[in-house]
Amino acid sequence: MTDSSDTVAAVDPQALQEEALAAIAAASSLDELDEARVRYLGRRSALKLALREVRDRETGMALNAAREAIEQAVATRQHELERAELDRAIAEERVDVTLPGTPHPRGRLHLVTQVRREVEDIFLGMGYEVVDGREVETTRYLFDALNMPPNHPTRSPLHTFYVGEDTVLRSETSPSQIHTMEAKPPPVYMVSLGRCYRRDTADATHYPIFHQVEGLAVDRGITLADLKGTLRALLRQLFGAEREARFVTHFFPFTEPSVEVLVSCFQCDGDGCPMCRHSGWIEIGGSGMVDPNVLRFVGYDPEEVSGFAFGWGLERIAILRHGLPDIRDLWANDLRFLRQF
Amino acid sequence: MAMRVPMSWLREYADPPATTSEIAERLSVATCEVERVVRRGVPDADGNLGLFRVGRVLSAEKHPNADRLQLCVVDVGEREPYQIVCGAWNFGAGATVAVALPGARLPNGLTLERRELRGERSEGMILAEDEVDLGTDHSGIMLLPDGLEVGTPLADVLPIVDEVLEVETTGNRPDLLSVYGLAREVAALYDVPLAPWPGVEPERAGDEPVDVRVEDEEGCPRYVGRLFRDVAVAPSPPWLRARVFAAGMRPISNVVDVTNYVMLALGSPLHAFDFETLRGGRVVVRRAAPGETIRTLDGQLRGLDPDDLLIADADGAIAIAGIMGGEETEVSEATRTVLLEAANFEPVSILHTSERLGLRTEASNRWEKGVDPHLAGHAARLASQLLVELAGARWVGETDARAALPERPRVELRPGRASALLGHEVPAERQHAILRRLGFEVDGETVTVPTWRARDVTREADLVEEVARFELDAIPFTLPARRDAIGRLTREQRLRRTVEDVLVGCGLCEAYTPSLVAQDPSPDALRLSLPLSADQSVLRTTLVPSLLAAAERNREVGNEGVALFEIARVYLPTAGEALPRERWHVAGIVEGGYAEAKGVVDTLLETLKIEARVERGTHDLFHPGKTARLPQGWVGEIHPAHGRGWAGFELDLAELAAAAPERVLYEDVVTFPSVRQDLAFVVDEDVPAAALAEAMREAAGELVREVRVFDEYRGEQIGAGKRSLAFRVAFGSPERTLRDEDVTPLREAIVELLARRFGAVLRA
Ligand SMILES: [Zn+2]
Repeated sequence: MTDSSDTVAAVDPQALQEEALAAIAAASSLDELDEARVRYLGRRSALKLALREVRDRETGMALNAAREAIEQAVATRQHELERAELDRAIAEERVDVTLPGTPHPRGRLHLVTQVRREVEDIFLGMGYEVVDGREVETTRYLFDALNMPPNHPTRSPLHTFYVGEDTVLRSETSPSQIHTMEAKPPPVYMVSLGRCYRRDTADATHYPIFHQVEGLAVDRGITLADLKGTLRALLRQLFGAEREARFVTHFFPFTEPSVEVLVSCFQCDGDGCPMCRHSGWIEIGGSGMVDPNVLRFVGYDPEEVSGFAFGWGLERIAILRHGLPDIRDLWANDLRFLRQF
Repeated sequence: MAMRVPMSWLREYADPPATTSEIAERLSVATCEVERVVRRGVPDADGNLGLFRVGRVLSAEKHPNADRLQLCVVDVGEREPYQIVCGAWNFGAGATVAVALPGARLPNGLTLERRELRGERSEGMILAEDEVDLGTDHSGIMLLPDGLEVGTPLADVLPIVDEVLEVETTGNRPDLLSVYGLAREVAALYDVPLAPWPGVEPERAGDEPVDVRVEDEEGCPRYVGRLFRDVAVAPSPPWLRARVFAAGMRPISNVVDVTNYVMLALGSPLHAFDFETLRGGRVVVRRAAPGETIRTLDGQLRGLDPDDLLIADADGAIAIAGIMGGEETEVSEATRTVLLEAANFEPVSILHTSERLGLRTEASNRWEKGVDPHLAGHAARLASQLLVELAGARWVGETDARAALPERPRVELRPGRASALLGHEVPAERQHAILRRLGFEVDGETVTVPTWRARDVTREADLVEEVARFELDAIPFTLPARRDAIGRLTREQRLRRTVEDVLVGCGLCEAYTPSLVAQDPSPDALRLSLPLSADQSVLRTTLVPSLLAAAERNREVGNEGVALFEIARVYLPTAGEALPRERWHVAGIVEGGYAEAKGVVDTLLETLKIEARVERGTHDLFHPGKTARLPQGWVGEIHPAHGRGWAGFELDLAELAAAAPERVLYEDVVTFPSVRQDLAFVVDEDVPAAALAEAMREAAGELVREVRVFDEYRGEQIGAGKRSLAFRVAFGSPERTLRDEDVTPLREAIVELLARRFGAVLRA
């Protein structure tokens, strides 16, 4: 401390600043930078001592300007060095980005559920409600209400499962049409999807349990043209916007006129292939205008309202779209199969 | 049932200017499905057909070097006759035959060449029917009628090239199960003339009584019995054999072929009896007597049921009406007198008998759909003509026993109504024209239905369909106006989707298992009265066993990470009710123990904002010490007797929906942070964690935001029969930040209540 006044007198702020900045710039590590900082800004540094001793305002301002410049330079250099250090460190932190991530278990919806939701959503979008019908039905709702003549073959216990004398497992979803119409006056726009049962021996294309989507629209002025338009819209949603729909005459007891619906083959685009049996068209399912007897059964007046209905198999849609070779795969629940979709 | 319709035959009745595939296309839209068009016969290209001719045998002698061969000289209408070596012996000089010349290609792909056979030149072939796909017979060559001019192209005489429609008809249109019926549709679709009903009544050559007694007019509204004498049973001529064969039946003899031919042509099946074998010379139509039997044409002895309709003679059954004739009265080569049956049978009885016997024939397939009784007359006429012409028979007697045949329905058709239903304007004149071409009579708005459609068309809607099927392609594509329709899933349906999504998110794959099972834990479960197999005979009341089986199968095939769920109905029988209660259940199976299944259930309940209310329970499927009951169902480790290393759950969706809040109300959990405290208590083993947690909430009141177990510990320091449970408790207030002095009394209250109620000791 004895020679402090000499030192103070010797300080040239300009020169000190230049010297300090050069030293800071030359620091190649945080340690060196810290050394420089102590030397030029530390408590015992020439600058700090001079500041402590300074008397005149002008010298003080010059010294302070030098201090600020040096502090600034230290901060800047420190940031640069830290950044360089980080860069150096992370340059070595590499992973094989092609390795798999941490697995999270996840399941799948069954393919038929996926189709079911898709069909539901299409009809929800068109203003239809979704109705869950019962699976065990009375013969009255499965047969009588649907205009099945007393000796129609599907009434036979060889075709339909009987649980009791007048109770059956529904062989189609149509009874839910009847329940819906009985429950409320027209208009009715509904779809009903669910399990149906037929006494078919299981093979590649049959299983005694299957899923149907039933659709019904009853209102004033419903036409066969409405049926064509609605079902073509459904087919295009399911099979592609460029698909064409074709309607050919058929017969079902509960619709009159009845039409079978075909979609232009999405495999060959109509040129003919095994999938469409070389016809360019693939059968999708039945439909028709609701028979007046059915409307009368539920107390609707066929002179006032008309309607259309259709009943298609969800498995058939899934099989066609995804190229399944065997319907029984849908019931085997093998995870290798389920996880495919 | 598919029917085969040779186009050469159909075009005899209706011949529009259109190709077979065009016709097939239009029939498919408007009438019935044409499954395919089969081309048959000899190749029709490069002049091949010109190499098939009518020839006359000028001489036929034994081949000089072969005992089994004939050396023939045949005139085929060229300057020089052809020498042909032939292996058949059923002809001689003067016979008119079918010849294929050298270069001709046969249906089997063979091309004929000039060649030497045992040292003699052979130029072509004298044809047997199987060689040109007109039949299966190879016992001799085809003998053609003598009147044919030599050199005539064979294709002008026989359908050696043809196309066959394979059509699938619907149950309401038995009229289409005939070539003439299908021709009527073709004529109407193309607006071309339809030939008159085929068949010209032959001359009556006698007036013998025919003893027909119909005892069951309901089962048999009409029975035309005609008697023919001097019948010469022999093979049919080639044209008839060819048609019957192309239509898918086997030619047998002229009498049998005629009955089949007429059935194919007109759709009304016929039967021929050897009259000499009828005891009492009588035909009785009646129901079977108990215990009665018959040996049918196929050689089977069949027991009959009193519901079965029979044709009998004075002593017993001679045919199962409409299904199959009896062996004893079958027409044979020795037959000289034939009783021809052209009848009409009521469909339901035929269907039942044919189903019961498991015996379906071309005839039963037609009768069970309801054949027009008026057709019997047309059928009798055409068959009589052919029996006289082809078998040299004399028609000597007839009985036409008939009940009152049904009236032709008269139906109103409002053309405006039809257009309105179709959404497509079809002028009245066009509607009427379509109907007239199909055989309907139209008088103003009254339409009279032809007899062959009388069962099918009885109402205006049925007439609208007739118009519709001719206009199907022209009807536009529109959408309904849907004035008040709003599409939305119900709350329960949305909840179902949420449950599916949560379980998928938990790693479970959705399974579909059959609702029909071999056995069910519930002794009252509904059973099918006629199951397909014992494996699928009971309507299940629970899903877990089916899922467990599916999980075990996955393990057997080596699949890893097995976790399955299913949402499906169960069927709960209810006393006094015919129909079971159907409930949607969700069930799952996962690998591991209780905690794995419980974790899935916890996640599910948390998503649905349902408070888990879990108690110890017992359930046959689950481990007795590791089973919990919830208000919504069960969760537990599968009982080791049923499967090792699995845990599962089954919940009722309606109960979940009932417990889930319809909407969640806002609570401020952000502005003032929670204060967390970890508290560990030592308690007796049998004190449930849930009871402790509930008591904590009770003690601390509404400032408790969360109570969660985060550790369970057993050990020496704690002592036998005890365990330590560590809880993380979060306190919070929507109004202020809690301070230590707020929390301390809450914590003390908890410790005090747990000590008092459970003897719980707070660990330091
Ligand atoms: Zn195709």
